[in-house]
Amino acid sequence: MNLSSILLFVISKMNGQRTLNAGLHLLRGKKSGQTLTDVEYFNVKPFFAILPKLEESTYSQAIDELLDSGLIIQDEKFIKLTEEGSKRVEELPEFHFRGWDYRGREMIFFGRIALLVQTLSFLREGEFSFNPIQKDRDIQIFVKRLLERQPLTDPGFAKRIGDELKMALLKSGMSEIQKYIFACRLTGSTATAKTWDQLAAELGGGTDALRLQFIECLHRLLPIVEDSDEFPFLGKVAFGIKVNSYLTDSAMHTKRLFDQGHSMASIATIRKLKMSTIEDHVIEMAMNDKRFPVTHFVSEELIQAVVSKSQELGTKRLKLLKDEFDTLSYFELRLIMTACKEVDN
Amino acid sequence: MDLNRILLERFGYESFRPGQEEVIRHLLDKRDTIAILPTGMGKSLCYQLPGSVLEGSVLIISPLVSLMEDQAMRMRQNGEKRVVALNSFLPYSERQRIMGQLQNYKFIFISPEMLSQEAFSRKLNRIRLSLVVIDEAHCISQWGFDFRPDYLRIGDFLKLKGRPPLLALTATADEKVLNDIQHYFKMEKPIVQRHSLDRPNISYSIVEVHSSQEKTAWIKERVAQTVGPGIIYASSRKRADELAIELQLEGIAVQSYHAGKEQDDRSIIQEQFLMGDLEWICATNAFGMGVHKDDIRQVIHDHLPPTIAAYIQEVGRAGRDGQPAAASLLYMPTDEQTSSFIIQSDMPREEEIRHYHRMIGEGHSPGSASELASLTETGKRVLDYYMEHYSLEEILLKFHRLSTEKNEQLRQMVQLVTGGLCIRQRALSYFGEMGGTKPVECCSICGLETVKWLYEKSIKPSAAEKFSWDERITNLLG
Repeated sequence: MNLSSILLFVISKMNGQRTLNAGLHLLRGKKSGQTLTDVEYFNVKPFFAILPKLEESTYSQAIDELLDSGLIIQDEKFIKLTEEGSKRVEELPEFHFRGWDYRGREMIFFGRIALLVQTLSFLREGEFSFNPIQKDRDIQIFVKRLLERQPLTDPGFAKRIGDELKMALLKSGMSEIQKYIFACRLTGSTATAKTWDQLAAELGGGTDALRLQFIECLHRLLPIVEDSDEFPFLGKVAFGIKVNSYLTDSAMHTKRLFDQGHSMASIATIRKLKMSTIEDHVIEMAMNDKRFPVTHFVSEELIQAVVSKSQELGTKRLKLLKDEFDTLSYFELRLIMTACKEVDN
Repeated sequence: MDLNRILLERFGYESFRPGQEEVIRHLLDKRDTIAILPTGMGKSLCYQLPGSVLEGSVLIISPLVSLMEDQAMRMRQNGEKRVVALNSFLPYSERQRIMGQLQNYKFIFISPEMLSQEAFSRKLNRIRLSLVVIDEAHCISQWGFDFRPDYLRIGDFLKLKGRPPLLALTATADEKVLNDIQHYFKMEKPIVQRHSLDRPNISYSIVEVHSSQEKTAWIKERVAQTVGPGIIYASSRKRADELAIELQLEGIAVQSYHAGKEQDDRSIIQEQFLMGDLEWICATNAFGMGVHKDDIRQVIHDHLPPTIAAYIQEVGRAGRDGQPAAASLLYMPTDEQTSSFIIQSDMPREEEIRHYHRMIGEGHSPGSASELASLTETGKRVLDYYMEHYSLEEILLKFHRLSTEKNEQLRQMVQLVTGGLCIRQRALSYFGEMGGTKPVECCSICGLETVKWLYEKSIKPSAAEKFSWDERITNLLG
């Protein structure tokens, strides 16, 4: 797994209907109307925000690799798979990211585990002084609270946490190499973690590919400890990591006004925002709520007509649909395509 | 007052380290004091002891959150529980809780920006302070890496009448910095207590070369033949990475360290160095503060530090255990230009300052204005402070003077390297110290015989045993 293979998969999902940078925005988790809509349209939620700090140059490099090896081509503005590319997609390993749920916050989860393990590792040896491996104050305070009134110096306690961790790693279904990377990023009194450079030298491959492995590993571990009574302590470590509202704060604000019965125009006035921003918020709301009343905006007949046309043409491109339904606005078309995604599948 | 008895009974030490007792006596006499003590010489006792006998709380202002956490932790470990570290990173509720019972703490560590929070400074004015301590006081003066414009605001806070005595602590300070400390903190006729900055166990060498390839070759040979642990300081992230890779190819346990690495990896590298997994670190000046490692045997400079003070501080990280240590500086004639360029690129130019000033006047937000005027982070912070206090012409004058001063400091550093005089004496005289006894292993000017200890390299068994993932976890947690 590396950036190119993930991009190949994402491009296969968006086949021919999105430009070069759509993938970059997706992986970075850009919270714009377009990206949020894409996420839903093309079923690429798992990849949303898996690399919040992805550099543009790194991204272009991965795209160039795909172009050079003839797996994708650029057709005017749009990027699509070649035949060779489609074949390659079939051979890709299965991805287990859950970017939509975690959005980069999995690193906070790991930070807590790393500091927890380090603390227990030193305390069980009776050493009370060490340099915290995590400098983030929020993580430090979280772990401190977590360990209040726990039998810290009892070696049995450290062992219990260790066993819980091992069990969760086993149950997560992650690969051996992922478990190894996870363990190698832990520090304690008897061993210090390895840097990405060191891991790359040892395991081969680049540091970026290893980081992706690591992120996927955390995305597999988190659901295991979140949903089970088997891992009482790790469950607490995962507290507040999964996003609890899929709406952006601003969309949330718009939703409250919408629920109170305000029209979109009146919300725009109240919030002193552009109409297009409110439209983005409404799309976001529709995306995250299956029962969203689309018929407030467009009639049932038109919805059906647009959906069947889209299937007939085999496209989700708004431009093409707009040609067919001139009376509908782009916003209305977007809304239909968002809300009726399930019909489509 | 029998200070020795208090020292033994409360702190368990038989005797003071050089300089400590004098500083404590000045403070008990209610005199403002500037204490220049090399790092690792027990600075904290200088305020802990007076704090424990005087009525009221001690306020300690510290530039780095990690540093203050570290000090507060160490005090708690030593049995002083009435300690708190307060900074803007604490969650709101936590801060409120601490503020509610501020008077119950004997030692209050804060970061300087806390003082500009009105609720806090109001609270502070209501409790009784026995002493105000400013740690790393040189941060008021140095432009660049250590410089903290927030420190300039401490002066505003300290204007209050009938304030308790002030203790400014620093490891390095030349005359200019001393004046700045005295001036900006508004100290009243302070007593300067200086412990010699001389570190007789460190020997200094200057190695003249003609190209950076030659530097690389010298470093490779040196590291292969001589003992670690050691730090190699480079001028840029790129150069630090480059040197680390060169040395890794030679089989040396080395990593680079700079602000371009992710925070987790930086912590890991520091820990590996501390634990002895790494023998060498190739670093920019981002490496050092808060690193407690006593047995560093060598510091190598691949570049020319911008000031003698910075040089001495970086070199001073070697040999804290008192055992012999070696400092080497590689120099080629173009280094002066390189360093000068780096220094000046950090400084806002006149047109940038004018541009920024105009845009703020026109109502742009400071953020966008600084971006448009292409100011650096530090440049912006300093400029923002100045703009609150001075007119545009005064500001331009100030920056001009600052820039001239920077060049002058660099010139002195070049003098130290090329002047052909004893490096130790020259550096000490820069800090106003005279004479002293010359150790046998002094410097390359005075002549260094082949230094035997440097080549007594023990072959370390490579402990690269490979563990599986579950063995690793068992190893850590049992």
